[in-house]
Amino acid sequence: MSFHHLDQFAHTASPVTRMPPAGRIVGTVGLALVAATLPAGAWLPLGVLVALSCTLFALARVPPDVALVRLAWPLGVVLIASATLLVMVPGPALVRLGPLTVTAPGADRFATVMARAMVALLPAVLLVSTTSFPELLHGLRALRVPGAVATALGLAYRFLYLTLDELERLQRAARSRNAGHGAARRRHLLVAVTAATLGRSLARGERTHDAMLARGFAGTLPLLHVSPWTPQAAIELAMLLTVAAAVAVQARVG
Amino acid sequence: MAHIPDGFLSIPVLAGTAGASATALAVAARRSRATLGEREGPLLGAVTAFVFAAQMLNFPLGIGASAHLIGATLVAVLLGPAAGMLVMFAVLLVQALLFQDGGIAALGANTLNMAVLGVGSATVAVRALRAMLGSRPHATVTAAAIAAWVSTALVGVAVATELTLSDLVPFTTALTVVGLGHVVVGVAEAVLTGMLVSVVLRARPELFVHATERTRGHGWRVAALTGLALAVMAVAVVAASRQPDVLDATLMRFGLTGRGAPVATPFADYRSPVGGPWVAGAIGVFAALLVTWGIALGVVRRRS
Amino acid sequence: MTAVVELRDVAYAYPDGTAALVHATCTIGAGERVALLGPTGAGKSTLLQLLNGLLRPTTGSVTICGLPVDDATVAEVRRRVGLVFQDPDDQLFLPTLLEDVAFGPLNAGATREDAAARAHAVLDALGLARAHDRAAHHLSGGERRLAALATVLVSEPDLLVLDEPSGDLDARSRRRLRDILQERREAVLVATHDLDLVRGVCHRALVLVGGTLVYDGPLETLLGDRDQLERFGLAA
Repeated sequence: MSFHHLDQFAHTASPVTRMPPAGRIVGTVGLALVAATLPAGAWLPLGVLVALSCTLFALARVPPDVALVRLAWPLGVVLIASATLLVMVPGPALVRLGPLTVTAPGADRFATVMARAMVALLPAVLLVSTTSFPELLHGLRALRVPGAVATALGLAYRFLYLTLDELERLQRAARSRNAGHGAARRRHLLVAVTAATLGRSLARGERTHDAMLARGFAGTLPLLHVSPWTPQAAIELAMLLTVAAAVAVQARVG
Repeated sequence: MAHIPDGFLSIPVLAGTAGASATALAVAARRSRATLGEREGPLLGAVTAFVFAAQMLNFPLGIGASAHLIGATLVAVLLGPAAGMLVMFAVLLVQALLFQDGGIAALGANTLNMAVLGVGSATVAVRALRAMLGSRPHATVTAAAIAAWVSTALVGVAVATELTLSDLVPFTTALTVVGLGHVVVGVAEAVLTGMLVSVVLRARPELFVHATERTRGHGWRVAALTGLALAVMAVAVVAASRQPDVLDATLMRFGLTGRGAPVATPFADYRSPVGGPWVAGAIGVFAALLVTWGIALGVVRRRS
Repeated sequence: MTAVVELRDVAYAYPDGTAALVHATCTIGAGERVALLGPTGAGKSTLLQLLNGLLRPTTGSVTICGLPVDDATVAEVRRRVGLVFQDPDDQLFLPTLLEDVAFGPLNAGATREDAAARAHAVLDALGLARAHDRAAHHLSGGERRLAALATVLVSEPDLLVLDEPSGDLDARSRRRLRDILQERREAVLVATHDLDLVRGVCHRALVLVGGTLVYDGPLETLLGDRDQLERFGLAA
């Protein structure tokens, strides 16, 4: 499993990648917030947001097929979750499907939620396509995410590869020893392997801590890069947020 | 699973849950730094990676079904509530930003549900149960398993509440579908957590920061506080509905024999007045904060 | 001239009481290249961790470059002693190599520009320049060991300490490591089972058996003495 396939456009120069990661995160959150909270029936503002997102995708040189592939799974999850709304909301009936009844308010809510979810996913997919994990961490730190969380994530990035490697190795060893058939056997095996991995993960954490101490670590991870905020990037972000805010206001007032 | 995508929750709920979880995380960050000091980073990093890896695993349950571990209770028992909340938050953050598992706008709600309530309630439950069952390894495993189930069910209640307060579905429907769903999922979580805790406890008991502490008879206080918090939350949820007769409607609904009998519910007309959702949201936030503070108080008093 | 390392009657016991090291006394001077030999479990790693304050002796004293190792001096000691651990993955924990190598200088107070420049220089010197913005799991085992070495060399320590550095290296990487060690000006202490690695590189050998220093003398002499090698459990 690799995180690297996720940020293949992080090295393509574009106005999006030139924006410091903190700015990219703020922009993403702003767009997602506006999209996620649009009132029901606000189709024009939704359209504007979609157009805005597509423009950003184009600016970042992310091809539409890549974007759609990355949207597919989360969209599927939302579809399943919101489909239940069709039959869970009381009100005048539209369609009867066996024991379940699709109601008008249910259909309304379904449409609203699906639309909002789809449009909120766009900036998220853009962020993950254009931002490498280290950049994301720098952005989060700049945005004052608790130091422990940022440090934990930074280390977890490396630890995850090592943990997954270890899990795989232990699983293979256990399987070759036991050749366990049947769900219960497999589960016991997996639990034993998982527990062993937990022990090794914690041991690795301790050894890493020693290595950090040996190189002078005193509690806070030092930062190497300072993402330079150019006036252009600041203006671009401000513009983006203004448009998003305008859409939000217009959707409620207009 | 329990991750709420974007698009479901209303602004008051998003804002309220975000505020409540930010507060809880700030408290957690301070406590975690105080207890763990400089090894906080590597320790949390290792556990965060482990939770990520563990969540990817498929545990076969038989009959063609399999379960995924959420890990909130395991983390709570391993690291305690403060560090545990931070680890779960780290996982949720990356899941939202990188994997679109859970919405970005909804991160506050998901954090409150899984990181704060999930880990917090697991901690409270484990301590209460161990106070009642004793502190031998066997009791700890049982306590962890039951706590995992309780905690997961509570997450379900929280999700249902947030969906209701966002004016999406009536509370009973949400509770039935989402709550019940989590109750079922909670069984798998309980089994897996119990098994993992049992194995690790036998092999490496020193890994558990809090499982091997003796409780000093604070169990009843903790249980009482938890019960009070839950009661307040339930009352607030019911009161939060904009129609004064929703309680009657709910009761009538339970008494009805068939589905689809028309009941005057608040959702027949979903154009809500401006004040409505904000009042509902505010009460919901207050309830969530109360639960959080109840848990925090229980934890703090336990530590002293 | 101040000795780089001075151990005086150092003993270390684990919290449960088991003794890991007893009556260790020795001195390492500037520029000396010393091999620390001994069977597994003899206490080599323990001794190494005493040198940078990760462990504190139960009795006796450890002095680095004239500084007695204690809470007040430990930060400075860790700048003088560069410890390369056994598993490179324990030392490459940041998202990019450059950050890993710059970690030490940044902690010591260097500016970002200075730390980055020094990190680039060391990575270039070790042939790892192309990987500076990648994570360690993109490197081969040998490259990772070099990268771990880089994280320590960048701080220009007075004493370079290596714990089993040739673990899983192929012959070519092993030769590379030998060359690097030959070029070092600072004092070098290599804990290893790999006699071929240190032959010709280190002039002096310390042998630890069961926590006790049983030999402190020329490496060549030791390597030529079959009986002694067998007695110490070092025979290849």
